[in-house]
Amino acid sequence: MAIVSLKEVKKTYPLGKTEVHAVKGVSFEIARGDFISIAGPSGSGKSTILNMIGCIDVPTAGTVELNGQITSGLTDREITELRHKFVGFIFQSFNLIPVLNVYENIEFPLLLGRNTPDQKQRKEWTEYLIEEVGLTDWAKHRPNELSGGQRQRVAIARSLATKPELVLADEPTANLDSETSEAIIGLMKKINIEMNTTFIFSTHDPTIVELAEHIIKLKDGLIASEYRRDK
Amino acid sequence: MKLIRLALRNLLRQKRRSILLGSAIAFGILFITLINGFTGSFIENVGENFSNLMAGHIFIDGVEKSSSGKDLYLIDDDSRIMDAIEKSGIEYNFLTKRSEIRGTLLFEGNGINQSIVGADWEKESYFKERIILKEGTFENLSDPHGIIVSSKIAERLNVQLGDHVIVKMQTYTGQQTAGDFTIAAISIDTGLFGSISCYANILYVNELLNIGPDKYLTLGIYLNNLIDTDPVTAKLLPELEKRINLFSRETTDDGNPFMAILEQQEEEEWDGVKYRLTTINDLLSEVEEIVRILNIAGLIIMLVLFAIIMVGITNTFRMVMFERIQEIGTMRAVGMHRSEVRALFLFEAFLLAIGGIISGYILSGITMFIISRVYWGVDTPLFMLLKNGYMTFRLAPLQIILNFVIVTILTLLAAFRPADKAAKLEPALALSTEK
Ligand SMILES: Nc1ncnc2c1ncn2[C@@H]1O[C@H](COP(=O)(O)OP(=O)(O)OP(=O)(O)O)[C@@H](O)[C@H]1O
Ligand SMILES: [Mg+2]
Repeated sequence: MAIVSLKEVKKTYPLGKTEVHAVKGVSFEIARGDFISIAGPSGSGKSTILNMIGCIDVPTAGTVELNGQITSGLTDREITELRHKFVGFIFQSFNLIPVLNVYENIEFPLLLGRNTPDQKQRKEWTEYLIEEVGLTDWAKHRPNELSGGQRQRVAIARSLATKPELVLADEPTANLDSETSEAIIGLMKKINIEMNTTFIFSTHDPTIVELAEHIIKLKDGLIASEYRRDK
Repeated sequence: MKLIRLALRNLLRQKRRSILLGSAIAFGILFITLINGFTGSFIENVGENFSNLMAGHIFIDGVEKSSSGKDLYLIDDDSRIMDAIEKSGIEYNFLTKRSEIRGTLLFEGNGINQSIVGADWEKESYFKERIILKEGTFENLSDPHGIIVSSKIAERLNVQLGDHVIVKMQTYTGQQTAGDFTIAAISIDTGLFGSISCYANILYVNELLNIGPDKYLTLGIYLNNLIDTDPVTAKLLPELEKRINLFSRETTDDGNPFMAILEQQEEEEWDGVKYRLTTINDLLSEVEEIVRILNIAGLIIMLVLFAIIMVGITNTFRMVMFERIQEIGTMRAVGMHRSEVRALFLFEAFLLAIGGIISGYILSGITMFIISRVYWGVDTPLFMLLKNGYMTFRLAPLQIILNFVIVTILTLLAAFRPADKAAKLEPALALSTEK
């Protein structure tokens, strides 16, 4: 079964008296363990689609299914729990919490909601993730003391805190130089293989697109092309 | 809870702003605490000062109707009263027996209407602690005709130590008579009430009043504590009623017992001596009214003050919400519930309130300490409100807790709407909002 499935998804934003058709009817499926890039020029609807998959926005028409479950019609509490358990987020501008240090930022999602793991479990897992993204020496530092690449590593570790099956990254490399960008995608790929976590990242950088195995190209809110590269 | 820690760090993020808001709360607390503290000791101080002035907390005097219908005040024989005091088992500090002349003091063409209190100063040792002499000594009162006058009276009569003054007065039964006193000492004026009385020896005062040496006008019971006045009165009354003819202190609709007694005295006819029991609280009920008005005024000012502070808090939190809008979006995306966002903001408000209130109380403590060290002197119109010339503060613990709770709730209320708005932000919208 596909981990993500979009069926005739449309999204319309009101804009003054008119409307913006950001996504105009998109269907695709993503398999578990996929490493997929959603590519397209600015305004093509990448962020909108990722937001709908990540349950922080709802489609105007059509359905989004995660693990076969239709996400529309859930209460905010249920949606939040679903996000918490099932989805991790990585953002273009890192979006770390400035008053928390590296360790605390990564641990943060574990402290939310009910069923908080105990202190020891949290510590073990957080330290493992810090090591996994190579920031062991930086655990006590706050985000403003880190470089862009380091911050995005923290964000990657945080996105994995609750062991989600799916990680969404909206232009994770847009604020990074090309070398760092490739390292970041490389790290994501490593985790994709090690943990079998599904990664969906958007980008408009052609060299980054090529690092994905499964590519969906958007244009004007529609799929322009979709293809897989052989591993 | 981990949210508290995050809330604390958020609060420290904008130190200047938090300190400003906290100071506003602290200032409000300081203000209301000073008012409460002042009014809290107001009654007590006024009560103590009155009791000192009048030498007692509970007073008993006797009234007799003369053949001409005039009220004559005298305690002819106090044995039954003493018996009642003993049998009632009340605790008191000491008893004072006093006689009083109302007449005109004359010296070299100057005259002044004045009351002269006579007491046995040997026995009333506490008297020496209360009256501060400017000139002369208490020993001079060993002269049977010695008199202590306040500096104001001395000035108006233009008398000096050792001068002889004449008093024109009426005896107990209303005969015109005259006496002569020697200025034994001049006391420092204690403001408004300082010039009410002059002090002389009871034996000579009784002689002038033409009553026997063992008789007197008023028995004062000086208790250990002002607050004992009502319970002691309640204990003493039944014993007195068994032994002497006593005016009723019963009042309709919570009126003043003293007024009720005066009314009976006016309307009733009786034979022999009928006794009156009055207390310092009969007088203080008027003062309590003033305190109530002060407290209400304080409360209104506090509410206005806090209304302003609350507007500041609401606006600040609204600003904070916009400043952190992406952060809120991020926290919501990674799984934070609406209720947790709301709680985070409310925790910040709560910590702000706690910090402000505690600083406010510390500040109040320091301020009250400093003010209570200032000596205002005894010759000031404020004297009645002071304790031996010092301002004192008294705070009921319940009042402190109540203000704590009120201010905390007000702060939480002020922060609630912005907190709720933050909680209800759509995550996608919050994340995409450009600052
Ligand atoms: N909240 C919104 N209100 C109105 N219009 C919106 C909103 N969000 C996105 N849009 C519009 O929808 C269209 C698709 O936007 P989207 O952000 O998904 O594009 P994108 O591919 O992520 O572009 P970019 O590369 O610039 O991030 C754009 O025309 C955008 O202006
Ligand atoms: Mg985008």
